[in-house]
Amino acid sequence: MDAPPPSPESGAAAIWTRRAALGILGIGAAGVFASSSRRRRTPDGRVRLRYWEKWTGSEGAAVQALVDRFNASQERIFVERLAVADVFSKAMVAIGGGDPPDVVGLFSWNLPAFAEAGALLPLDGFAGAESLTAGHYAPAIERLLTHGGRLWCGVNSCYTLCMYGNAQALREVGLEAPPATIEELDEVGAQLVRRGGDGRIQRAGFLQNVPLWWPYSWPLLFGDQLWSVEEQRFTFESERCRAAFRWISDTAERHGRAASNTFARGFERSMLSAGDPFLTGAVSLTVQGPWMANFARQYHPDLEYVVTPVPVPAAEIDANNPRGMLECDVLCIPRGAPHPDEAFEFVAFMQTTEAQEFLAREHCKPSPLAEVTKEFYVGHPNPFVAVHAAVAQSPAVSVLPETRAWKPFSDLTVAAFDAVWMGGDVDTELSRVQARGQEIADTQAARRKRRGRL
Amino acid sequence: MTSRARSQERAGWLFSLPFVLGTLLFLALPVGLAIYTSLTENALIEEPLFIGLENYRELAGDRSFRIALRNTALYAALAVPLNMLVSLGLALLLEQKLRGSSVVRALIFLPVLVPIVAASLGWMWLYHPEYGLFDRVLRAVGLPGVDWLGDKRFALLSLVVMGAWITGSQVLILTASLRGVRRDLLEAARLDGAGAWWRFRAVVLPTIGPALSFNAVVSTIWAAQVFATPLIMTGGGPEQSTKVVSMVMFENAFRYARMGYASSIAWIQFAATLLMALLVLWLGRRFFESEVRG
Repeated sequence: MDAPPPSPESGAAAIWTRRAALGILGIGAAGVFASSSRRRRTPDGRVRLRYWEKWTGSEGAAVQALVDRFNASQERIFVERLAVADVFSKAMVAIGGGDPPDVVGLFSWNLPAFAEAGALLPLDGFAGAESLTAGHYAPAIERLLTHGGRLWCGVNSCYTLCMYGNAQALREVGLEAPPATIEELDEVGAQLVRRGGDGRIQRAGFLQNVPLWWPYSWPLLFGDQLWSVEEQRFTFESERCRAAFRWISDTAERHGRAASNTFARGFERSMLSAGDPFLTGAVSLTVQGPWMANFARQYHPDLEYVVTPVPVPAAEIDANNPRGMLECDVLCIPRGAPHPDEAFEFVAFMQTTEAQEFLAREHCKPSPLAEVTKEFYVGHPNPFVAVHAAVAQSPAVSVLPETRAWKPFSDLTVAAFDAVWMGGDVDTELSRVQARGQEIADTQAARRKRRGRL
Repeated sequence: MTSRARSQERAGWLFSLPFVLGTLLFLALPVGLAIYTSLTENALIEEPLFIGLENYRELAGDRSFRIALRNTALYAALAVPLNMLVSLGLALLLEQKLRGSSVVRALIFLPVLVPIVAASLGWMWLYHPEYGLFDRVLRAVGLPGVDWLGDKRFALLSLVVMGAWITGSQVLILTASLRGVRRDLLEAARLDGAGAWWRFRAVVLPTIGPALSFNAVVSTIWAAQVFATPLIMTGGGPEQSTKVVSMVMFENAFRYARMGYASSIAWIQFAATLLMALLVLWLGRRFFESEVRG
């Protein structure tokens, strides 16, 4: 059946509907265009800065308190903090897409990738940056903030890894503090193990896979740095690395490889919660960062614990120069930031002794600065912050390899750790990681050369 | 062409323009860019560097990628038949005239509505080596517990089993298809003395064949792209035994800032998925054609 011919009225209506639709689309497009101005202001005329930061909860609240202080300290700039998960990838996409925030809180290991790509604005290019470059930070922290001789970011608290020991469990074996050497640790660890009637572990003394967060950190205890800056090579096949992974394998063997793996995995989802294995006494000794004090006071305020630097081989012990791993969170100004000068003003505010000491206290961490006020330690919520601070200031402290290949390399170490724990051959596993990690590093170096940035 | 016809043609183009533009902008352009990106080193934060086929050459020697490819193939080989069997079994059960079957139908479809993150977290607790339901049951009957997600012999299998829980969509398609089975043919077959199995083989299976084929192809595509469950439940471990291709692609793109390398993985994954889907389609056709002939 044919459709009836359209009436003149319906034709006119169609034209008007089409015009209305196009009009609405046009208004929408104009609205989007008009609002795309990248310089933003608050209603009272202040420049509005967007600040992306990874922390949430009490850690986020501490940063917000500093942001509020900054906002109250002047009338020209207003900082708006936005908690952003997975900040590395989001910053990457935002900078690449040309719409970055004004300030972004990254991790120190992100720096090589962003700095080499020119995706950040170096802080030493801003007027007034002299105060940040002249010995303001602890030497190892300064190293973490610098790449290719330039200062790319400010610090936003730091942490070192130390040995946390359950005081009550340690007293059972006649100790007041965690062991200082690897050899003693093995001995004490074995004494602290408690098994149930079915042979399953109920309490462990010390296991390197609780938590399995830093599988690459164990060679640092044996004095390896994982990366040779001179040769631009990973050193995962060094004798010290082999010794570290043999130690890991031996620990697994002594505890029963599968049994200890199952025991550790049982806590994967409860780390740093009320069910944390250290806080509940399921493990007596663990290597952790200073935030452990924060979670201890939150979930198990009655827990008695003692903190010391990580143990080292007996032949290499040096109480004045403790070893340990240091990392920090960093504050950067991305390339294309709408308000770079105002962003620098905020970053500089965050680098003041007052701001960093406040943040460090709230996070239970040591100060990242070269000089620390006496007041910082008075009433600090982490009773062992001085131990973390001593490691941070130690000439023997280790930082993660400063290469873009670090993240893929560190992920490879997870699989190697797993394999060694379950009885895999140490040499084979380390050599696999070394080969692939170095291949990535070499490829990236060759491409940087091709880009003319080497 | 009359002015009215021209006006209608213009209106036709105008109305199809959003779809044409959408396809060009959101499909053709990204696909083209992905091909180009796979031939570059691209971290998004700097200008792409054209490197030809270097990413593909690097992939050939990448052990993690080979392991992921093998794991994905194994996952698909186990998950697709299991999902098909489970969904077919459930669909046949639901076709029986049983009390409360509509409630059961809703329960079977429910997992499809549960966000995959929530489902994965729930299953992690079921698989928990200390408090998990499965281990509790094993221990209750005097058997040793199993570290389902922590033992590399069981981890991938555990993910496959979890996947079989989310078969509601497939059950729905099969249930609809089963409604098309001719009752008179079933009755005739019964009168000819065909037992339940032969009635199923000779009457039901040829009728629902296209639906089964469709399910098999869709399951294969899903299995080849599995991502969220291994990422959440095992992170690819233990010892990379659950690392899948999508995960390697994600890591390279968003953790290692190697978008070019990730794009080359995406293309290999696309080619492998296409081949697997075509193979399943071909096998399905052959099987059902032989059933019809038989």
